[in-house]
This record gives sequence, C-alpha cells and structure tokens, in this order.
Amino acid sequence: MANPRNPYMMSRQYTTETQPVSMSEAPDWNSYLQRVGKNQDKAAFAELFTQFSPKLKSFLLQAGSIDIEVAEELVQETMIKVWKKSPTFSPEFSSASTWIYTIARNTRIDWLRSQQRRDPQKLTAEMVYADSNTPSPFTNLLKVRQSHDIEHQIQTLPTEQKEVLKMMYLKGLSGQEIADALSLPLGTVKSRIRLALSKLKLRLAAHANINAADAEA
Amino acid sequence: MISNHPSSELLIEYSAASMATAPSIAVTTHLQFCDKCQQATQSLNQIGGELLEASLGTSVSEDSLEELLRKVSDLPQETADESQSATKSTSSTDRFKQALPTYVQGLFPPNDLDWRSVSKSVQVATMRSGETSHELALHRISAGGETPKHRHTAQEITVVLTGCFSDENGVYQPGDFLVREQGEVHRPSASQNEECICLSVLAGPIKLTGLKQILNPFLKFSPK
Repeated sequence: MANPRNPYMMSRQYTTETQPVSMSEAPDWNSYLQRVGKNQDKAAFAELFTQFSPKLKSFLLQAGSIDIEVAEELVQETMIKVWKKSPTFSPEFSSASTWIYTIARNTRIDWLRSQQRRDPQKLTAEMVYADSNTPSPFTNLLKVRQSHDIEHQIQTLPTEQKEVLKMMYLKGLSGQEIADALSLPLGTVKSRIRLALSKLKLRLAAHANINAADAEA
Repeated sequence: MISNHPSSELLIEYSAASMATAPSIAVTTHLQFCDKCQQATQSLNQIGGELLEASLGTSVSEDSLEELLRKVSDLPQETADESQSATKSTSSTDRFKQALPTYVQGLFPPNDLDWRSVSKSVQVATMRSGETSHELALHRISAGGETPKHRHTAQEITVVLTGCFSDENGVYQPGDFLVREQGEVHRPSASQNEECICLSVLAGPIKLTGLKQILNPFLKFSPK
C-alpha cells in the first residue's frame, strides 16, 4: 500500500489531521473521490492515483494498439478528468471503480477512434454516453442494492464466462471479435455472456420482451 | 409503452464500448426513452468497474503523480449541476429532433438535414458518424405511407422517434428499438394519422425487392 513515490502518502500526518484514514481495512474509494470533489483534496486524489493508475494503465494497454507511452498519457488524461468531474460523482448510484471505469473507457475509445478517422470529429464518447449516466430516482435505489453482489460474483464465474467478459470489457472486443479470437461460433459467445449475466443476477430483462428477444437470438 | 429493446448482447457491447459509434448512437437514443435499459446499462458498467479494480495493474512512470498534481493544481472542477446541463434544447420546432440525444444534432450537415425522396412516401436524410462501416440516417415515412418491400443485405437498427409504423410483425412506437438482420424482407408502413420518423443505423445496403431502386442513396444498387 505504501508508495515511496507518493509524496502525500509519506506525509500521512498531514492528511490525517483533516480526515482520519483507517488503513486496517480496504479503503473506501467512494469517500476518497468525494473528498476530491468536495474539498479538492489532493491527498485523497494522490491515494486514488496510487490505487487506480496501474490498473488504468493495464486497461489501456489491453486495447492492443496503445503503446506504453500513449498509455501513460491516457492515464494522465483519465485522472485529470477524474479530478475535474469528481464533484459530479455520487456514491448513491455508482461506485468509484465503476465511475472511473466509464471515464477510462471513454478516454480509450476516443483515442482509438481518433486514430481511425481522417477528419477530426467533435463527437466524443462522453457525449454519446452522457445520457446513460443520468440516473432516474428508481435507478439510484437499485444501484446500491446490486453493487456488492456483482463484486463477489464475478470472481466466482466459470473461467470461460469470465474470459469473455474480460475480453469484452478490458480488451474492448465485440462479441464477433471474441468469437473470432477464440475460434468459437458467435452463438457460443452470446450464450456465455447470457449465462454470466444471469449468474451475476443482472436483471437486464426487467421486462419480458428482452428475454423473448434473447431467446430468439 | 416501449416493447422492443436492445438485446443484452448489444447492451453489454455498448457498456464495454466494444461496438461502433453509429450503433452506440442508436442505443443512446433508445436509452432516452427507456429507464429500464438505462438502469441495465449502469448495472453492466459495474462489470467494467469490478474487472478494472480486480486487475493487477502495470506500474506507471515515477514522475507521473507529481506531473499530474502539477497539472490539476490550477484546474477548475465541474460543478455537480454541469453534468445535468445536457438538457434538451426546446428551441427546435421539429419534435423528432427533441427525441434525439442532443449531440446527434451536431452530426447534421452544416445547413441542416438534406431530406431526399427515395420513394413516394419515404425520405432519407443522412448524417455523419465519422465511420465508414455504418451509415447513420433518419427515415421519414409520410402518414399512411408504405415503404417499398425490401430485403436487408446487412443488419439495420431502427429507433422510432416520432409517430409509429408497422410491418408484418407488429406496431412500433417512439422508443422502440428494432434490429433487422441480413436477409429479412419487410414492408413497413406508417400509421394513417401521423408521419413516422426513425433513426436508422445501417451496416450495409438495403435492396428493394422487385424495384430497381435503392432505399439508401449513398450506396450503389447492385442487381443480382
């Protein structure tokens, strides 16, 4: 946990004066993020950086066409967005890791798309995804209830299902690309996804029609 | 009442950003109408969050943190209200524009939409998603109008914005999200009392069955 390169962690006295940090259990990253958002707390921000930046770098590198140098830049870009957007973070409907994931995902896809396009486009992933980040009151309640389940259940998924989820989220591959990479029929990949989602008890099919559509596919 | 939603495979690709931009735009448009899918998407995002948190990580360069702290020192933060600022512009008189996510209007051609007739009762206006793999367009079927019977030579996603239309399989209302797979033939028609406007995302050309004409003006008709 201790990182000698982190100047704020070395001077822990300084941070504990304002807000005590319990190191005996896993830190509550939500509250760190809130401290950044409410008080521009650089010590909390440094802790978040120490925790998340290596994970972000590895996430960015898994896209394949991103090299180490670009990954470092994009880690910075992601963390700058975390700083700027932190006042909009609300633990009632998202955990810190999910919130940071969506920022990293948008940063990565924008960079990848900027490499493909000849003409620069004003359309950013943040714009595309903005509407899915505006929770309705109903969403808030459900969110809190589900978040703990998923954490533990992902780890208990069968390897083949976990593999598909990792390829999709960490490598950013589509169902078809995963099928190609694993030399499997697309249907097999889809059914692994569906099995994983049902094990995670993600009630995507809050309405019967989604179930029906899935059953047909 | 919306009765047609994206499948869980599409939603998970959307959540993982492993789908192209144009279909993501169709999904976002649906989410504007559908709280349940919005909520499902947020749950799916948790998978990304958990996988990120569980990953081992790769160490970052030594001066990375100091550099970052320097950068953020004078950086203003967004206020909590700013995130809500993506409210709909109400200045537009066109109801279908209000049904679109705000950013989609930024993809319109500089001098607004260029509606082209492709048949007696169907007009198409294309937009730019910045991708060559998909075509993003709006379709307008006049009240009571029928589209020519056509076969899909590639996948097409349609999201109803205003009005409603029907085909052999059902009646579709604003917010409905439909995927037509390659090879499907259908003949949609709008309801009698109102024109129907839809957002459509096409992965390839559509062939009209029987007529030497193509619904998509950008792609060449290639007769068999």
